[in-house]
Amino acid sequence: MAANYWASTQRRYWLFSREKLAEVRERLRDRDKVTHSQFPLPDQRLLNVYFNQQLIKLGKRMSTRQQAIATAQVYLKRFYTKNEIRQTNPYLVLTTAFYLACKMEECPQHIRFVVGEARGLWPEFITPDVAKLGECEFALISEMSSQLIVHHPYRTLSELQPELPLSSDEVALAWSVINDHYLTDLPLLHPPHIIAIMAIIVAVVFKPSHPGGFPGSAQTALAGAMRDGSGMNMLAAALGDNSGAGPPRIHKLVQWLAESEVDIKAVIECTQELLSLYEVWEQYSEKHCKELIGRMVKSKNLDK
Amino acid sequence: MALSPFASRSPSVAISSPNTALRLKAAAAQPAAGSAMSAVPAAHAHSELTEQLNDSVARNYERGKKLGEGTYAVVYQGRRRDTAATVAIKKIKVNADYKDGLAMDAIREVKYLQELSHPNVIALHDVFSKHENLHIVLEFLPGGDLEMLIKDQDIHYGAADIKAWMGMLARGVWFCHENFVLHRDIKPNNLLIAADGEVKLADFGLARSFADPYLNMTHQVITRWYRPPELLYGARQYSGAVDVWSMGMVFAELVLRVPFVAGNTDLDQISKICEAFGTPTEENWPGVTQLPNYIPTDGSHIIPASGRDFFLRQFPTAGPVGADLLMSMCALDPRKRTTALQVLQHSWWTIDPRPTEKEALPQKRKSAEKKMGDDLSRRGGELPDDSPFKNAARQLDFGAMK
Repeated sequence: MAANYWASTQRRYWLFSREKLAEVRERLRDRDKVTHSQFPLPDQRLLNVYFNQQLIKLGKRMSTRQQAIATAQVYLKRFYTKNEIRQTNPYLVLTTAFYLACKMEECPQHIRFVVGEARGLWPEFITPDVAKLGECEFALISEMSSQLIVHHPYRTLSELQPELPLSSDEVALAWSVINDHYLTDLPLLHPPHIIAIMAIIVAVVFKPSHPGGFPGSAQTALAGAMRDGSGMNMLAAALGDNSGAGPPRIHKLVQWLAESEVDIKAVIECTQELLSLYEVWEQYSEKHCKELIGRMVKSKNLDK
Repeated sequence: MALSPFASRSPSVAISSPNTALRLKAAAAQPAAGSAMSAVPAAHAHSELTEQLNDSVARNYERGKKLGEGTYAVVYQGRRRDTAATVAIKKIKVNADYKDGLAMDAIREVKYLQELSHPNVIALHDVFSKHENLHIVLEFLPGGDLEMLIKDQDIHYGAADIKAWMGMLARGVWFCHENFVLHRDIKPNNLLIAADGEVKLADFGLARSFADPYLNMTHQVITRWYRPPELLYGARQYSGAVDVWSMGMVFAELVLRVPFVAGNTDLDQISKICEAFGTPTEENWPGVTQLPNYIPTDGSHIIPASGRDFFLRQFPTAGPVGADLLMSMCALDPRKRTTALQVLQHSWWTIDPRPTEKEALPQKRKSAEKKMGDDLSRRGGELPDDSPFKNAARQLDFGAMK
C-alpha cells in the first residue's frame, strides 16, 4: 500500500457506479456487435474464475504474493473496461498483468522467466518473443493512464483484527472472501474498506462449523451456508436493528459497525454480490472457458 | 500483509455442471447479429480510438529543446498548447524493442508521482506514449537544484535560507512518509528548485511503499554519501528513518557547503560515519551487531558517540537549536532517529531567524535548465559525472530489487 486511498487515482478514476460500468461495457460491445455474437463467452464472473486460476498457475513456481495476484486481477478488470476482450489475446493480457503487478507489488520477476512460465502453460497462445510482453506492458500502462497503485482490502482486515477482535479462523475465512471478491466487479464498485468489512461480517455470521480449511477461496465453505437463507436472515435482522437480536458475537459486531459510520447499505450490496458469485460459480467449467477463449483467439488470429 | 502472503493455495473448485447460461448476461440483451459492420474495420476503429485518447494528450504538448540526457531518459523542455505553460518532458528510453520490459525506475516514478500531490514534490502532469516511447510530463523547475547552490562559491546564503530550504525538504519528505512512500534517494541534486524558489523533491526512481512487516527490501539504495548506517550494514527491513538520515546529510552539507561524510567506498563510508558520529555498538544501537553486513570494530578503535558539543562546534551556522535538530536526525540507531513528523515539530523552525521567504532565496539562473535535464535523466543512486566515482551506478541485482 502506498499513498492515501481518499486522494488516490483508484478512488478518483477507477471507482464506477454500477450503471456507469454497465454503460462503459455496453459501449465496448456496441463497437463490434458481430464479433460479439460470433464468439459468445461465459459470464464475466466465470471468466474471472478462469483467469484467476490461470494467474495462480502462472504464479505458482514463483511463489508470488497473493497481493500481486490481486493487483493483476484488478489490472485485468481495468484494462477490459477500455478494451473489448474479443479484440485481445487474454492469455497475453493476463501474463502481462501478472508481470506488471509483480513489479508493482515489489516482487519483480524477470520478463524471460514470466514468458517461459506462460509458454509452459499455454504454448499455443504465448509466443517465445519476449518483446510481445514488453509491448503489451506498454499498452496496459497506457490504458490504465499509468495509474498503477491498487489499494486492497487485506490491510484493512489485518488492521481491524485486533480491534474487533477476530479469531484466526474468522480472519482466514474473511481473507478467502476477499480473494473471492476479485472474481466479481466489486473492486471497481466499492472502496477496499467496504469490501473488508463485508468479508468480516460474512466470516463472523456464516462461520462454518469445520474450521481450518479455506484453501484460497471461501466458495465451498460459504456457498451452502449463504444459500440456505437462515444466515442471510440473521444478517439482515442484525443489520436492520441493533436492539440486541441475534447471537451476542454478531450483536457486538453490528454495534461496532453502527458506530463506525460505514455505509451499511454498500456492505449489504457487496454481500449479495458475493452470494450471487457463489451461485453462478456452480456452473463453472474450466474446460468450457478454455474452449471458448481458445476458439476466439485462434479464429481471430489474436495470438499473433 | 501479515497473513499468508502466498498464493500457491488454489481455490478448490471442482464443479463441472453443464453450462447452460454461459453467454454474457448483457450480451443476451443484444440483437443477435446486428450491424452491417464487419469485424475487421470495427477492430481497427476501436484500437484507433484508444490511440486517439492518448494522442490527444500527446498533441497537447510541444517538445522544445533538449535539457539533458542520461542512461535511461532524455529530458526536454516542453510547452502545453492549451495553457502555454512550460513543462519538462521526460522521455523514457524503451530499451531494445521492449526486450526487458519497462525499467523499474520509470515504473516507480510514474507509480508514485501519480498519487502524490504536494507543493514540495515534483508534480506529474501527464503520461503519454508516442513513437513507442513513454513520455512523462513533469513540472518545469528552472531554478536548478540545491547542489548547484551549495557548490557555487559566488552565492552566499545564511541560516535563514538554510532553514527555508530545509523546511521545504522536510515537508516533502513528511508528506511522502505520511503516504507510506520511502523516497530512498534524497540528496542535493534531487532537490530541484522552482521559478518561485520552492524546493521540490524529485526523482522517484528508487522510491517504494513501506514494506509489510517482516518483508525484506533491498539495502542497495540511496547514493552513498547520504546512505544511513543501517543500509551500509545491509539491513533489509527499515523505515522512513533512512530518508531522515539523508535529510540530515543534506542539512549538514548546506551548512558546510561540502558533503559531510563522503566515503569513496561503502567501507570507507562506514568508517567516515564512525569518525563523525561515533562507532555503532550494542550500547548505543541494540541489535546492530546482528545486521548482515555488520563489521566488528576492535575495542581500541571504538570512537565514542558524538555529543552535543560536536554538533555545536561543527555546525555553528545552525545555532544550538539547529544543531540539536541535526543531531537527532543523525542518530546512529534508526529507532532513536527523529521521524519526519518530529522534524517538523522541532522548535528550530519557530525561533529566530525566521526562514527566508521562498521568493527571496538566493537563486541561480545560468544553465540551471540544463541542470534540471541532467537531474531528471540520471538514474537513481548515480552521482553526477564530475564526482570522484563516476561509474558508481547503483548495483541492483534483480532478486534484490525490492
